[in-house]
Parts: sequence; C-alpha cells; structure tokens
Amino acid sequence: MAGAAPPGAPATTATYVYAVCRGGDESALAGLRGQAPGSPVRLLRFGGLAAVVQDVPAAEFGEDALRERLTDRTELERCARAHHAVIAAAAGVAPVLPFPLATIYRGDARAEAALGADRARLTAALRRIAGRAEWGVKVYARQADRRTAPAADKPERPDRARVAARPGHAYLDRLRGLRHERESRQEAGLQAVEEVDRSFARLAVAARRLRPHDTGLTPGRGAHLLNAAYLVDEARGDEVADAVRRLRRSPECRDVEIELTGPWVPYSFVEAGVTGAGG
Amino acid sequence: MTDRVAERPLTHLPSTPSGPANLADILERVLDKGIVIAGDIKIDLLDIELLTIRLRLFVASVETARKAGIDWWETDPALSTRAHRDAVDEENKRLRERVAELEAGTEDEPRRRGRTGWESVRKGRD
Repeated sequence: MAGAAPPGAPATTATYVYAVCRGGDESALAGLRGQAPGSPVRLLRFGGLAAVVQDVPAAEFGEDALRERLTDRTELERCARAHHAVIAAAAGVAPVLPFPLATIYRGDARAEAALGADRARLTAALRRIAGRAEWGVKVYARQADRRTAPAADKPERPDRARVAARPGHAYLDRLRGLRHERESRQEAGLQAVEEVDRSFARLAVAARRLRPHDTGLTPGRGAHLLNAAYLVDEARGDEVADAVRRLRRSPECRDVEIELTGPWVPYSFVEAGVTGAGG
Repeated sequence: MTDRVAERPLTHLPSTPSGPANLADILERVLDKGIVIAGDIKIDLLDIELLTIRLRLFVASVETARKAGIDWWETDPALSTRAHRDAVDEENKRLRERVAELEAGTEDEPRRRGRTGWESVRKGRD
C-alpha cells in the first residue's frame, strides 16, 4: 500500500485521487480498472469524508512519464475515460466531488494531509452539488442544405436576361444577397442561443459556459454556437429532456441543432464562484 | 429527431472504456473542470488541454492528412513530446534574443517557459 515504503526509500506506488465523496461504498468500486489495472480502487477516509483513490506505479505516474503518456492520443483517451468511469461509478452511490485528471500524491499519508487541509472547501463544494446533476447543452448552426429559411430570406434568383445585360451588377447583387443571408443567419443563431439559455436558466440552479468546440471537430455539423453546462436538481431531471424537445420545435431554434448530454457528475460546478443563481 | 443523450444515468456505468460519452465532452471536463487541489506530481493540464485542441483537429482531419501523405503527428508540438521540447527550446532562444534586444526594464520577461503565444490562445478561448 502507498505510504508503507520505509523512510528514505523511494516509494514504488503513488496515490491517485479520483474524487472525494461523503459516505461512499467501496463495493460500488469493485472491479473498476481505473488507472492501474490489478490494483483496487478504494476509499481513503479522512475527517468525515472519503477520497476515492487507487495505488498506481510511481514510475508510470511521475511528472515526465505522465506527461509523455498523456501526449499520446490513445493513452490520453484511455486515462480520461478510466478517470471518468471511476467517478461515475462512485457517483452512483454518494454525492461525489470530481477531481481533474492526475491528482497524485506520494502515498496515502500525503493525500490525507493535503485533502484534510482543504476539508472546509471540499465540504462546501459537496454541499453545493449534492442531489444535483450537470447537463451539457450544445447548439450548432444547421448546415446550409438542412436549413429551413423562409423563401424571402433566400438570395434572389439571378434573372438570366439581367445577368447577360449587366454581368457586373448581377455579381454585386449576388454578393449583397450572400452577405444579407450570412447576417440573418448569425442573428438567428444568436436568438436560438438566447432562447436555449433562457429555458435552461429557468430549470437550473447554476449555469456555466464551456468553450465551443472547433467547427472542424464534427464533420457534417455547422458552427458550434453554444456549449453550456447547467446544474439541475435531480428531481427535475425529467424536465430537461422536455425542455429540449420544446426548444427543438420553437421557431427561434428552426435553424439550429440542439444536443443534450448528461446527466454528468457536476464537474463544471465544483469550484466556488462558478455557480450562478443557486450558488 | 434524435435525442442524443451521450451518457447513461449516474447509476449506470459505461460498460467499456470506450463508453457512450463523447471523448471531447469527457476531456473538457476531466482536464479543465473538477476541484483542484495541489498534488505532489505537477502536471500542467494546460499542456494537455492544448493537446486536446490539436486532438480535435486531428480527429477531424486525420483522414485528409493521411490521404495527402502528411505525417504531422510527429512534428506537431502539442502531439509529440520531443518535438514539443524542441519547439520550447527554440522559442526560449528567440525570446532570450528578443529580451536582450529590448534591453532590461522596458518589458517583463515572459515567466513561463516560452508560453507567450499559447497564453494568448488560451485567453482567446475563454
């Protein structure tokens, strides 16, 4: 076990912390592979709370080794998914405060000391998110071929006779039409985002904007207009899907696609100061 | 119309490491969110975050790149540690020269190892 190495000798294992929870149940963690298959994911109790931890090989989780590994796409994905899977499992039985990837201590004693020192902050954060879940809402502009813009908004069809007579004018008309179309599309996108945000503000106790993804990320998708997270009481979870269904039918959201993900462990709401209304 | 609920209820585990949640959704949470308490091992998640931006581009364009015979995985600073260090060294050298040029006192020397360009990327994204 970490921390059991004789003084002076370099420890061969380190303590990887996934999350902190209140109560918790070790049986919910049984069988999880985590970051170090073969070593159980367990609870480390401290001052009325419990950390979800795992012993990991110190050699693989040193600064250089870890940085090197996380630079590998496959390894990064594996680590991120393993981290998330442990947190999701722990959250099935207790309110859980997720830690970012790679919070690592040289043994249990070091972990206990660091977490214990921050107990007040951890307790406050747990109180803020207990009984609540995070929902991710993304809004994308609909791609041109799937848009349902009314005919009036479409650029005028070029009149063949006119094109033949005044090709320069026809060209300028077309440019104007395209610009007008682009502007009304942006305006429509903004309205859709506002409508989505308004609907979720009524449901959520807190909201947070995440960074929109690169537009190149999802082929077949238009520009990413909104990437938001909302903290919603678990009792109102059913209303989330209803809200999205209603939004998709609303005229404001005619030319956007709305994607819902969740419920997530409230990753985006654990730090003080990020919560809004219900903070 | 598809209701894309990418994650199962909290009480259900993703059954495999390649569970239902989108990788980008997971990365933006496990790298950028969560409660931060200083650990003994210092990993700059900013580095990794930058990597994920490249990763997103990579996911989108790997096929295109492969078709064009471009192997930029090896030379992209955010994707290859060795290339990354070379790039940092290179930038450090440039910055030192620039600082010398400016003569002491007029501008703060960049404190983090050659990150000035990256910092502006980060600011622009938030």
